[in-house]
Amino acid sequence: MTARSVKWWSQIHKWTSLVCTLFLLMLCITGLPLIFHDEIDDFFKSADVSARELPASTPQASLNRIVEAAHARYPQRYIQILNWDQDRANIVNLFLSETPESPAGKRPLKLSFDSRTAEFLEQDAQDGGLMQAIRIIHRDMFLGLPGELFLGLMGLLFVIAVISGIVLYAPFMRRLEFGEVRRASAPRIKWLDLHNLLGAVTLVWLAAVGLTGIMNTISLPLFTAWRAQVMPELIAPHQGKPPITKLGSIDEAVALARNVLSDNTPVSVILPTQARFGTPRHFFVWTKGTSPITSRLFTPVLIDAENGQLVRASGLPWYLRALQVSRPLHFGDYGGLPLKIIWAVLDLTAIVVLASGIFLWVRKRRPSDAANKIRSQPVTAATSLFRS
Amino acid sequence: MTTNRTRHQTVSDIFRWPFWLGVLAAVGMASALFGNDGWDTLSWLAMAIPIAVIAWKALPGAR
Repeated sequence: MTARSVKWWSQIHKWTSLVCTLFLLMLCITGLPLIFHDEIDDFFKSADVSARELPASTPQASLNRIVEAAHARYPQRYIQILNWDQDRANIVNLFLSETPESPAGKRPLKLSFDSRTAEFLEQDAQDGGLMQAIRIIHRDMFLGLPGELFLGLMGLLFVIAVISGIVLYAPFMRRLEFGEVRRASAPRIKWLDLHNLLGAVTLVWLAAVGLTGIMNTISLPLFTAWRAQVMPELIAPHQGKPPITKLGSIDEAVALARNVLSDNTPVSVILPTQARFGTPRHFFVWTKGTSPITSRLFTPVLIDAENGQLVRASGLPWYLRALQVSRPLHFGDYGGLPLKIIWAVLDLTAIVVLASGIFLWVRKRRPSDAANKIRSQPVTAATSLFRS
Repeated sequence: MTTNRTRHQTVSDIFRWPFWLGVLAAVGMASALFGNDGWDTLSWLAMAIPIAVIAWKALPGAR
């Protein structure tokens, strides 16, 4: 590599890093507790309500009955979503909003029922607490979609910084063995070596978590784009008709969905709604596959909420599938506690890479300090790094 | 201090370790997606190696 191209890549590495580093540090720090959100939630939860012991052959109760029971409890609220609890057996949860639109910022009231007896178990206002606040800071810094997209842009700069870092690794390491840390040298040299070592070892993880994080920041626009594409066709037959007064059977809709996609299991049903995650005219039965890979791929079955007819059951477009598979790779919550611990260690390593990057830049900015130390560096090409 | 300080390493020398550690991380990240139990264990082992390398090379007690 010529001195000129090293200089060019150095500038890219410096400026992309400088812009994104503080936000990346925030993401690494807030991301650390989020890796363990399940464990933390369980720890602070007073008592986990579970469905009572009944013979395994006990049949499931009618979902219509459960929805009626929820409606009787909160006649003023709008029942938006029904799901089968993923962690607790024989429990169905209903999510009720105060307004028909169920705005994204406001968490719905969650009611839990025994799926066999339709007995009411508990309600959870989901008003968050600390973990919820951390999650929102990590996602959008309380700025909604603009904040989310901004963090996506920071993620993009970070990925460019990682790539330029890989390019610059070669000229820096020409005379050094892999992993050699010149501890006896000045702090700047020592931290440069550590920055290079930690960055080189974690770069695949850094790039993967960065890219999947960027994917997540554009998930809402992607879903909106898909919705804009399918909605006109779905709504056209109902144009000008009055709102639904009598809902068809949810049980029949779920049975139909099971029939149509027999390899999948239903995970949730979105009831007819004004909210953007559903439509005013359909049951949206979300199903997932049963193998480890396909269980991350969700396929919606759309059923006319009035006459119970199948409207559409097809896989999502590739960009939404990619998004679904990329989610676990960002969260690290797909391989048990050991994988979460590995994620946490790598996250802490990333913090050291970011912080040492800032340190190296600050040190370089103090010329009197830097001038002596640079001369002691064996790699001449490296001296062009961080030079403005 | 290493013995071959004056020797210039080739690009493939320089990237040999980072490349193979990256392959391990990629295998580790992918395998837990493919399944549970055995796949998870493979994932933990594959990803523990880069972390062990960090501990070996970067911790203050390291050579």
